[in-house]
Amino acid sequence: MSPWWRVLIYLVAAPLLGGLLAGLDRRISARMQARLGPPLLQPFYDVAKLWSKERLVVRRSQNFYILFFFLLTVFTGALFFGGSDLLLVFFALTLSGIFFVLGAYKASSPYSFVGASRELIQMMADEPAILLTAVGMYMVTHTFSVHEIAAQQTMPVLLLPGVFFALMYVMEIKFRKSPFDLSSSHHAHQELVRGIATEFAGPTLALIEVAHWYENVMLLGWIFLFFSIHWAVGLAFTALSFFLLVVVDNVCARVKWQFVLRSAWRVTLVLGCGNILLLWLLEMFGILKLNQ
Amino acid sequence: MSGLQKSPWVIHYDASSCNGCDIEVLASLTPGFDVERFGIVNTGNPKHADVFLVTGSVNEQNREVVRNIYEQMPEPKVVVALGACATSGGIFRECYNVAGGVDTVIPVDVYVPGCAVRPEAIIDGVVRALGILEARRAAMAASSTAAGVMMIQRATAADLPELLAVQKVAYQSEAEIYGDMSLPALRQSLGELTGDFGRMIFLKGVVNGKIVASVRGYDDGQGTAHLLRLSVLPYFRGRRLGRRLIAAVEREFPGVGRYEIFTGHRSAVNIHIYTKLGYKRFKTEPFSAAVEWVYMEKKTS
Repeated sequence: MSPWWRVLIYLVAAPLLGGLLAGLDRRISARMQARLGPPLLQPFYDVAKLWSKERLVVRRSQNFYILFFFLLTVFTGALFFGGSDLLLVFFALTLSGIFFVLGAYKASSPYSFVGASRELIQMMADEPAILLTAVGMYMVTHTFSVHEIAAQQTMPVLLLPGVFFALMYVMEIKFRKSPFDLSSSHHAHQELVRGIATEFAGPTLALIEVAHWYENVMLLGWIFLFFSIHWAVGLAFTALSFFLLVVVDNVCARVKWQFVLRSAWRVTLVLGCGNILLLWLLEMFGILKLNQ
Repeated sequence: MSGLQKSPWVIHYDASSCNGCDIEVLASLTPGFDVERFGIVNTGNPKHADVFLVTGSVNEQNREVVRNIYEQMPEPKVVVALGACATSGGIFRECYNVAGGVDTVIPVDVYVPGCAVRPEAIIDGVVRALGILEARRAAMAASSTAAGVMMIQRATAADLPELLAVQKVAYQSEAEIYGDMSLPALRQSLGELTGDFGRMIFLKGVVNGKIVASVRGYDDGQGTAHLLRLSVLPYFRGRRLGRRLIAAVEREFPGVGRYEIFTGHRSAVNIHIYTKLGYKRFKTEPFSAAVEWVYMEKKTS
């Protein structure tokens, strides 16, 4: 399939899949709490509702940043599913996150500021692990190209279990789930008053939601790469990983930002870097031969 | 659209309730009642909410808070008064510090009685509110497409509070341009506006009974009509309502030799509109460190 077809399918299918996953998430969470939960399509109802609401703003320019956040998030996913460079995807993802933060700062309210600074801390915590994933993928497959990594049909997770664990650890941050949902939480709407998203209402909030759907599908794509030996195996493990994220979300209470930063970096350093160091040593002493 | 009825997000405010009703509101979120089945989410943020649940009678200290929360909610929105106190003031009705039920401060759409109100009644009240919410949304959608049929009328003294509100909202974008919240239009009080009303002609642009735009003007007795304070709500901009209002207010002064209007030097949109209407700039005058007034005139042939 040509990259353009893949990008096109991604543009259409990602919001549908992302919305369904969000609905599934809410339903599974409700069942874990002995509730019935909302309909599966609830996220779509929410977005449709938000779209018909008044566009209330503190400053009109704040919506401009959110538009760019949305476009860049979609663009990041398009780079990924188009089979582009993992490093490029990583930096595009960072850029889109920065636009979200800028929008929150533009809205000048204390809740928004707290959310924005916490989002920056979260980005600081999760980025080393994501970057290390790209490095680890290169060591195992000798390429940064998503297309070639997926085409090699290997099981990178077997050589990169530490890196995979570190990535899963920060995925909990990226998916905005407990215990790391500091900047904006999906479930607890009261405590942080939605943090970074506090000052966005109506259609702009809908845009933020849809951007998260795109982002989540792209992030699941990163998990898929670890199991790309066969598409069915990959999908099964990706679904399992997603379920694991939901379970952790439901059994953990929110922690302080210091813990988020320290623990994410420690996990990345010990498991992620340790994994890569070990691979490097094994290869240097000729014990392990990484496929060329 | 069905989305609105399937995803009512609520915000709950306790206006001096005894906590009886509050506990029942929270009870409806528990597994026993699980309002999330209906897509109801309890947000803590008025900007994300569709339904405003108020428990307890409103007292003199929190009436501003209730009003503030109400005004921060984006349209369409509904208010549900939960429990005896919120609907009428209840047993606290006669207290010296109690203003009464919620409807003494903001318009209430659904009254849910009970002391304390039961979770089933709360859910029933919210579901009833959804019908009203849907009607509001339909009215809003109609008014946004009906902007072309804005009626221009002379304003009356009864319109002045609404006109002032429109002016203050409309001039926010000007304040943002100059980074200055002290523009005269934003500082004007209702008293000053009433003074202006005595000596000026006020025109209002009405869409579905709601004022969305206004302008005013006066004849200085020396052959010049001064036009000022053109205000259009942000939602209704870009539909040439401003031009229509200027043209209408010009017709209110048939005898004068020239019309004069002014705006800030960086308000490019205003200057563009006035230029298109035949106005030419003839002088500038510094007003503050950030703003310089640009005066524009149009002579009648």
